[in-house]
Amino acid sequence: MALKGFTRNFKPLEILTEEQVEAIHRGTLEVLWVTGVRVEHERALKLFEKNGCKVDYDEMRVRIPPALVEECIRKAPSSFHAEARDGKKSLMLGDNNFYFGGAPGLQSVDLDTWEPRVATRKENYDSVTVLDALPNVHFLCPYTPYFGFEGVPPCMAMLESQAARIRNSTKCICVGFSNDSEVFAIKMAQALGIEIMGTCATAPPLAMYRDAAESAFRFAEAGFPLRILSGQVMGGTAPATIAGGVITNNAEVITGLVLAQLIRPGMRVLVKDFSHPMNMNTGAPGFGSIVACLHNAASNQIFRKYGVPIDNATCYPNSKMPDYQCGYEKTLRVLVAGLSGANLLLLHGSVHGELTYHSVQAILDDDLAGMVGRFMEGIEVNNETLAVDLIEEVGPIPGYFLNKEHTRKWWKLEQFVPKVADSLTYPEWMNTGKKSCLDYAKERMEEILTTHKPIPLTPSQEEDLERILEEARRYYKERGLISEEEMATYRESMKSPNYPYE
Amino acid sequence: MSIEVLENLKKAIIEYDSEGAASWAKKVVQDRIDPTKALDVMTVAIRQIGDGFSRGELFLPDLVGAADAMSAATPIIEEEIKRVGARRESLGTVVIGTVYGDIHTIGKTMVATLLQADGFVVNDLGINITAENFVEGIKKYNADILAMSSLMTTTAPEQRKVIETLKKESLRDKVKIMVGGGAITQEFADSIGADGYEPTAVGAMKLAKRLVEK
Repeated sequence: MALKGFTRNFKPLEILTEEQVEAIHRGTLEVLWVTGVRVEHERALKLFEKNGCKVDYDEMRVRIPPALVEECIRKAPSSFHAEARDGKKSLMLGDNNFYFGGAPGLQSVDLDTWEPRVATRKENYDSVTVLDALPNVHFLCPYTPYFGFEGVPPCMAMLESQAARIRNSTKCICVGFSNDSEVFAIKMAQALGIEIMGTCATAPPLAMYRDAAESAFRFAEAGFPLRILSGQVMGGTAPATIAGGVITNNAEVITGLVLAQLIRPGMRVLVKDFSHPMNMNTGAPGFGSIVACLHNAASNQIFRKYGVPIDNATCYPNSKMPDYQCGYEKTLRVLVAGLSGANLLLLHGSVHGELTYHSVQAILDDDLAGMVGRFMEGIEVNNETLAVDLIEEVGPIPGYFLNKEHTRKWWKLEQFVPKVADSLTYPEWMNTGKKSCLDYAKERMEEILTTHKPIPLTPSQEEDLERILEEARRYYKERGLISEEEMATYRESMKSPNYPYE
Repeated sequence: MSIEVLENLKKAIIEYDSEGAASWAKKVVQDRIDPTKALDVMTVAIRQIGDGFSRGELFLPDLVGAADAMSAATPIIEEEIKRVGARRESLGTVVIGTVYGDIHTIGKTMVATLLQADGFVVNDLGINITAENFVEGIKKYNADILAMSSLMTTTAPEQRKVIETLKKESLRDKVKIMVGGGAITQEFADSIGADGYEPTAVGAMKLAKRLVEK
């Protein structure tokens, strides 16, 4: 049985007309066949060629015929099961199912100054515990919660982060790839007998670097699902127009999808839209932009036409703290993604873009997830909910509904009650210290950390995990990616009596 | 006549016209106009764009458009400077690139453009540059400054590797090293022994000036 998550019980938002969808699809096919995509991976190029693509080995350019694109899209399952460490928390991705996940942050923030700083090992592990406890977090994305933490050399960040997610959560886990990290990630999962979702990130415009293609091969060979994304910045690495951006993003993820289906027909894949307009003052991605919502809605409509499960990045705000701006930026992204058919959505914990993360933010986001999830569930209409008989029974004033069995049963099913929102009256609010949602979220974080105990790994799983981490440390040390000095700091950080948790 | 050619060269850069910039640069050579004067007007043009950007009146597409036009004219004028044996005045020579494993280009290009606007000779090696390629570039262009970018935490250690390689090649003391990019912090820059770090492109421009003044 899969975790329920949320279900969208109404027609998805259609921002494009049928003609517009066709125009974008045709544009994508034309780009894939005429312009082609640079794929810096010999084995991938040979596989493309063997399956009827035109390959220019000097330019490392592959041109994919429309028929092959459409055939591979058909081969990709329209929905699939993604296993979690706790089988009851596995996901059924596709159709109208809608799940939320923890988002990544490069660093933590100080809750008084809101300035970024490197997270500690304890903060990283505690943040996973919070995500494990939150009811509307259904999966944990790569790098979540932090890209790295104190004492850990950068090349070990992904694997240490993965180990923390495995140790402190039984939810579905996604991993990234960098410098062969996926080799150890897969080893960990296989040794522990769990499943992980891999990632293949293409490079806009229209390129796939060696590491991304290699990641696709490795996850395909391991039999694990794969999330395929690009990550364009419109006006920089993609056209500035939304329609043009949707075409290049589409062409990039479809290239990954075709590769995955050629390696392993029927492979479980998710396609993703992770696109932002460029901030033309700074060059940074315009996180939280309404243009990203438009791009997202259009991409999701195309992906639904293809019938492939949809992973949506990203509800990343531009704001630096959980304020008014953060609230509207996140809400718009979540709502538009959900309405337009996303199956997975990264939301929880991101404070500013991918640069900062905090559990307090994740707790606030859990209420947003609950609210939007409730909206997706829609309106139940049957004789009991229509309540015509009850309306007749109560009649006009002085009749009322508060004392009815129907009310006792239904209000809880119909309402979503946020856990940390301020919902007090003025007198109550003034008499209880004028608390905001932020104050409540801080309290809830403390409560979760005191009461929630993630289900630990078995001793033999723990031993395997640590053995593979150690193997990776030696591998990177030998390759010169960890200096003597870094290794000394790293070893020192592992001497805590509460290692690996702090 | 020469004033008209130089004005048109300047105008082409200000109007983001690469083809025009290249053809007016060729006209400079053809008409035997002093190529250092051409370089002066080009610098005036790109500085005008850079100033507009600093004031928030112009935006990245304008900056990069002008940089492209400048780049179209520069090799033609530099060739001519070499041919006539003139001396090119500059604040210094910069070799810039995004480190190996990292393919993020925009931040690096912004810095390259602003440094050029400020009067540096900039050699942009591009993205995904190995330590060995940086060493080659520094030797080839006899660089005063090495500027490295990495956006990702996973590629930041590559900056350390480049500096270590420079030490092995006994080149470390010949260049000032400035680092930047999303993954870089002042602490990291200090830890790898860089000479400077700035989080913004405009800051990087000021940093480069400080480094060559030292």
